[in-house]
Amino acid sequence: MVSVTDLRTMYEQMVTARHYEERLVDEYLVGKQPAFDISAGPIPGELHLAAGHEASGAGVCIHLRDDDTVTAPHRPHHIAIAKGVDLKRMTAEIFGRKTGLCRGKGGHMHLFDPDVNFACSGIIAQGCPPAVGAAMAAKKRNTDAVAVAFLGEGAIDQGGFLESLNLAAVHDLPVVFVVEDNDWAISMPKDRVTDVQNGAQRADGFDMPGVRIDSDDAMAVYEAAGEAVMRARDGNGPTLIEVQVHRRMGHFMGDAEGYRPEADIDRAKQRDSIERLAEDLRSHGVTDDELDEIRERAHERVEEVISWAKEQPEPDPEEAYENVFTNPPAQAATDGGAAADAPGDAGETGGDN
Amino acid sequence: MTDAVDVNSADSWPDDADDVAEGYLANWFVREGSAVDEGETLCEIQVEKVSIDVTAPTAGTVTETLVGEGDDFARGDVLARVQPSA
Amino acid sequence: MATESRDYTEATETDRELTMSRAMVEAIAWEMRENEEVFYMGEDVADYGGIFSSTTGLLDEFGRDRVMDVPISETAYLGAAVGAAQAGMRPIAELMFVDFFGVAMDQIYNNMAKNTYMSGGSFSVPMVLTTAVGGTYNDAGQHSQTLYGTFAHLPGMKVVVPSTAYDAKGLMHSAIRDDDPVVYMFHKRLMGLGWMPSPPGPKTGVPKEDYTIPFGEADVKRPGDDVTVVTLGLHVHRAMEAAEQLDDDGIDAEVIDLRTLVPLDTETVLDSVRKTGKLLVVDEDYQSFGVTGEIVARAAEGALDDLSAVKRLAIPDVPIPYARSLEDEVNPGTDDIAAAVRELHE
Ligand SMILES: Cc1ncc(C[n+]2csc(CCOP(=O)(O)OP(=O)(O)O)c2C)c(N)n1
Ligand SMILES: [Mg+2]
Repeated sequence: MVSVTDLRTMYEQMVTARHYEERLVDEYLVGKQPAFDISAGPIPGELHLAAGHEASGAGVCIHLRDDDTVTAPHRPHHIAIAKGVDLKRMTAEIFGRKTGLCRGKGGHMHLFDPDVNFACSGIIAQGCPPAVGAAMAAKKRNTDAVAVAFLGEGAIDQGGFLESLNLAAVHDLPVVFVVEDNDWAISMPKDRVTDVQNGAQRADGFDMPGVRIDSDDAMAVYEAAGEAVMRARDGNGPTLIEVQVHRRMGHFMGDAEGYRPEADIDRAKQRDSIERLAEDLRSHGVTDDELDEIRERAHERVEEVISWAKEQPEPDPEEAYENVFTNPPAQAATDGGAAADAPGDAGETGGDN
Repeated sequence: MTDAVDVNSADSWPDDADDVAEGYLANWFVREGSAVDEGETLCEIQVEKVSIDVTAPTAGTVTETLVGEGDDFARGDVLARVQPSA
Repeated sequence: MATESRDYTEATETDRELTMSRAMVEAIAWEMRENEEVFYMGEDVADYGGIFSSTTGLLDEFGRDRVMDVPISETAYLGAAVGAAQAGMRPIAELMFVDFFGVAMDQIYNNMAKNTYMSGGSFSVPMVLTTAVGGTYNDAGQHSQTLYGTFAHLPGMKVVVPSTAYDAKGLMHSAIRDDDPVVYMFHKRLMGLGWMPSPPGPKTGVPKEDYTIPFGEADVKRPGDDVTVVTLGLHVHRAMEAAEQLDDDGIDAEVIDLRTLVPLDTETVLDSVRKTGKLLVVDEDYQSFGVTGEIVARAAEGALDDLSAVKRLAIPDVPIPYARSLEDEVNPGTDDIAAAVRELHE
């Protein structure tokens, strides 16, 4: 049975993720209104927000320890927050700062935090094989650590996912695949790209348990993920879980969603897993005051990390040449291949206009 | 000679953007002096991140373009004038 | 049907100017109207019209049978395009970003590119692989590459890289009519998207009727006597801007837009180098083992005696970083080009 403490933790992570992204919207739009120029403002580039996905991140990651591995796709914030990624440095990364998680080299789709074994790939389904590898390492070393790969429902048609299911199954590896089904892959509705509407059925082909959670209910995710993680930790192999979530926003910022029926947007907004979890908490005797307190704490934390991030320095241009290798070849600095003949330092401000 | 026809931005405003007052001119496809057919695309505007093609109300010659490429404008601003061909 | 490559200046004088994306779509639509065997498939190419507006309006005109949204299964649908092409159709398949080639490279490289040769010429693969390339908008290492050299290196596919709307249309007509696989790489920054403004230059006059631009004909964008600048894609426009700056200082740069990498117009490069004796190659791909090295090698092979100085500017063998200060550092800018030309001129 779920403890009230766990419920509270999940709630706090979910409201943190939601508010964090609401604030990112404000920051992202600076310099991008009324004309939307993707390369302008303090946060340039693509930004994929996860409002409506929070139950999945929180309900799964609550069962994980720091030594468990998580890989996330292009929509990673809610998962990173639930996994305990350093939120200050993650935010600095999104702002492209020197003290960011990846020293400004990765950005929002490529967040890496070795302290909690968190990594991303912006290429569809390509976080799955490394998760299998982390599980392989745990099994070989005889630890009871597990790995979880998150992906979207659009990613389950990708070879890298299907091959990973098979590899994990045949070697009984401690890995859990979590599919966040938000009904859409950018503009493509699920029924346009697959005849199988229950993605968890993909597990059948690999003789692996497959569970579908039909509503984005943090409690239901908690139960299913708890079982899958325990199964993996106990050495009983992988599980595939599909969670119905909702895409409350466009695919990425700037997506006008002309392809999406108004009714579908409304429907997604009506089903709010955060509201649902608040109800669950109330039924467990948690008062509205306590919920307010949690929300306030989350909001304060978000403000704090964002202001911290914005004060951080930008990377020096020369840092672009660092970190290509862990052991840089000795001649790299002199052979003209890299730094010697580098273009740049012209001090342009991004964009081409 | 007939009067030049205004190409008013309000005529191309998207139905679901009634509450929006500003647009952005993303691209011109004709210049002053260009001959155009009726219905030919003159420019592309953006309202709330939605792109809309603004077309020539009549065949003729573009006599004036009144909003620059990359500039913002208000709903109701005239974008161009087209002198109908005789 | 018009098949002559037109004079660039004449093209700009048509009444109508188009963005690169509209010019590209116009050619695709024309070919689809003419030839039932042409169809387009990719992710988000139907209702969305392509993330970078590569298919805007095609769904309305041609319907879902011919403008197909496909699952995020690049191996399957790019390979299916190969099969349909071998069956005699003329598929156009879109890889949303060139960076995603990794999940489907086998179909591209071992099937699309090699089947003509391995079959001793008994099969043709008349397909077009369209794909978005390039950075400058801070999308980091997995969404900002051009990979020009990677595709041009592997034999069996023609590789085209338009830098203007006029070229985009003519090269697309040629690509669809060609009996070989053509990789058509369009630079995101040049498409004329409202949300990613282009520099001046790619929007040009575009005739309404169809016309082709033959592969293997570089375009001398600006004649000059002092230094040859060879480039492609976005950097054509950066080089042109640099050339204008240099002109004020009395340095006369010749700017050559390669337009196609396979086949490569070596002669135009050699003619220019024989005249100027100085060569700068500018590329948005990685420096080592790539386009810049290839051009310099051809210049050395064909005009060694005329060459007095050589330089190249490219991504300095690091993945594309996210932060603006870092990406600007590694992607050759107008000032970098001007500085390199000055150095060569000294
Ligand atoms: C191999 C590959 N193909 C295409 C893309 C472009 N792309 C990015 S996100 C996306 C849609 C993903 O849909 P889904 O997996 O359902 O995740 P969601 O965005 O809905 O969370 C696509 C096609 C990519 N990143 N990688
Ligand atoms: Mg989805």
